Amino acid sequence: MSASATDTAGRSSGGIWIRPALIAAIVIAVFVWINAVELDSIEQRLLATDAIVSAVVRHIQLVVISTVTVVALAVPAGIALTRRNLLSRALGPPILAIANAGQAVPSLGILVLIAVLFRALGFWPTIFALVLYAFLPILRNTIVGIEQVDESVIESAVGMGMTKRGVLRKIELPLAVPVVLAGIRTALVINVGTATVATLVNSGGLGDIVYGGIVQSRSTVLWAGALLVAALALAIDFLGGLAEDKLRPKGI
Amino acid sequence: MADSMIKLEELTKVYEGTEEPAVADLSMDVPEGEIVVLVGPSGCGKTTTMKMINRVIEPTSGRIFLEGEDVTSTNPDLLRRRIGYVIQQIGLFPHMSIRDNVATVPRLLDWDEHKIDDRVDELLELVGMDPGRFRGRYPRELSGGQRQRIGVIRALAADPPVMLMDEPFGAIDPITRERLQNEFLRLQADIKKTIVFVTHDIDEAIKMGDRIAILQDQSIIAQFDTPEEILTNPASQFVSDFVGSGAALKRMNLTRVGEVTLKDWPTARSDEKRDTLRNRLDDAEQDQLLLLDDDGRPRRWLHAQDLRTDDELTSVGEEVHGVISANSTIADALDQMLRSHYGTAVVVDDDDRYTGAVDMAVVLAAAEAMGQSAGADAQHRLADADVETTDEEQVSG
Repeated sequence: MSASATDTAGRSSGGIWIRPALIAAIVIAVFVWINAVELDSIEQRLLATDAIVSAVVRHIQLVVISTVTVVALAVPAGIALTRRNLLSRALGPPILAIANAGQAVPSLGILVLIAVLFRALGFWPTIFALVLYAFLPILRNTIVGIEQVDESVIESAVGMGMTKRGVLRKIELPLAVPVVLAGIRTALVINVGTATVATLVNSGGLGDIVYGGIVQSRSTVLWAGALLVAALALAIDFLGGLAEDKLRPKGI
Repeated sequence: MADSMIKLEELTKVYEGTEEPAVADLSMDVPEGEIVVLVGPSGCGKTTTMKMINRVIEPTSGRIFLEGEDVTSTNPDLLRRRIGYVIQQIGLFPHMSIRDNVATVPRLLDWDEHKIDDRVDELLELVGMDPGRFRGRYPRELSGGQRQRIGVIRALAADPPVMLMDEPFGAIDPITRERLQNEFLRLQADIKKTIVFVTHDIDEAIKMGDRIAILQDQSIIAQFDTPEEILTNPASQFVSDFVGSGAALKRMNLTRVGEVTLKDWPTARSDEKRDTLRNRLDDAEQDQLLLLDDDGRPRRWLHAQDLRTDDELTSVGEEVHGVISANSTIADALDQMLRSHYGTAVVVDDDDRYTGAVDMAVVLAAAEAMGQSAGADAQHRLADADVETTDEEQVSG
């Protein structure tokens, strides 16, 4: 047993640097490359260092704000839907239907729909669309995470005199944490991608560079933007993985 | 008769969407300090009955008394903290250390952490698990038997007067189960809890129960009596069918080796002279000497021909395979006898020292004594029953 423990530890601690190294390599390669080739004035404008930095910052803002919002909404909703009471029986099906629909409609469709519905473009309508789009993975993982908790563990907790709230806080939620975190990680990665498309409703972010490249027929710009989006998605997924390892309760 | 710790009055449970009750009009007294086993075929309502005592399943009607107090509609969470609870799957909290698992009820009762630490260590020692090694471990790092022990001590943590155990040894391999059952009986001899124990296994019921309630469909009591009485005088065809064949053999599970007079076997020490040993074997009715080591532990069987050689005594004769203890049942002894070459089971104490032997004569004497005591018990109980009826009449009148 101790041998296999060292094996796993060895593998994860050896492998943990591969991803950041890959991400750094992509970013460095992009910068080296755009500095090496001769850029025309349009390319220079689109790939100016402060343009890239502000696009990255805006992109991260979109992802983080929308994900935090969706966690704040979907986790409590998921918890509420696993309580065995009348409210959850009445509200469960419609909420799941809306969440499913949100996920089924293509991201571009949602973005445009919301822009049309609210007659507004820019940052906040995009946040709204991203929240809607990422709602399902987190909601579903919260529900699954709580429902996969072993029935006998809950029965023994109840049988020893824990209150319902105690069972939720001390037993169900901690044991659901790994599954919920996996949902959040999925949502984060989805949001990096969807936020790119959101450039079409004028949200800013790395989508500006990618679409700028397409619209202006500048493949250098297109490539640089796409690689940076990929690097950002990898980076966020990597951080999510670290958080999962760190926050998973000991013993499971 | 001891005061009843748990009293169930016309307890009925009808599950939603069904018409037939799962438990119908069950009344039962569980005396203080006894293990009462609820046993019956699957679906007879025994588990439902047990779970209504701590109201994990709420009864449809009827009343529950704990220590004389009507707890039918008190706060269920507070009620459950007074009742230890062990289920078949054990249900340890996988994300909590052994210490935190055991500390569950003491924490709910707001004990201070210092007292909890002491209690956790005390309980771990009680079941032979080194606190220093196990306190900080997690359930998945334990074997099945160790988890089961933790399940039991977690239920005992706040020293509740009553324990409910739902097939607690059901999901464990037979060898470990046997050991845990014996261990638990030894523990119970010290702690004397009032225990309601559910099983579908009549042999387990006979072994564990001070009293057994054999339940028919809807938890109707077919017989509520001591194991001896159920085996000797089954109250109905249902009971004798359920007990099955071999009641006389099953009674062998009721007497422990410590309760019978053991046979003295001639013994030998490795430093004794050959002549002395030969004389001893000649004088004995047995054909072997039992060689003990310096600490008095049985080591080898020595025959006359083994004593004729000059080899070390520790290398001749045959090794002693398997021993039993005072806690083993006569059935265990019989099993050991059949497996040994000499029809003899060697009995040792807690330190593995030789204390005596069981052979066929001892078993037959025990069987005879059992038959007599069961008859005598029956008469006692008839007399008791008369008294009880009068009491009830007085109460109702």
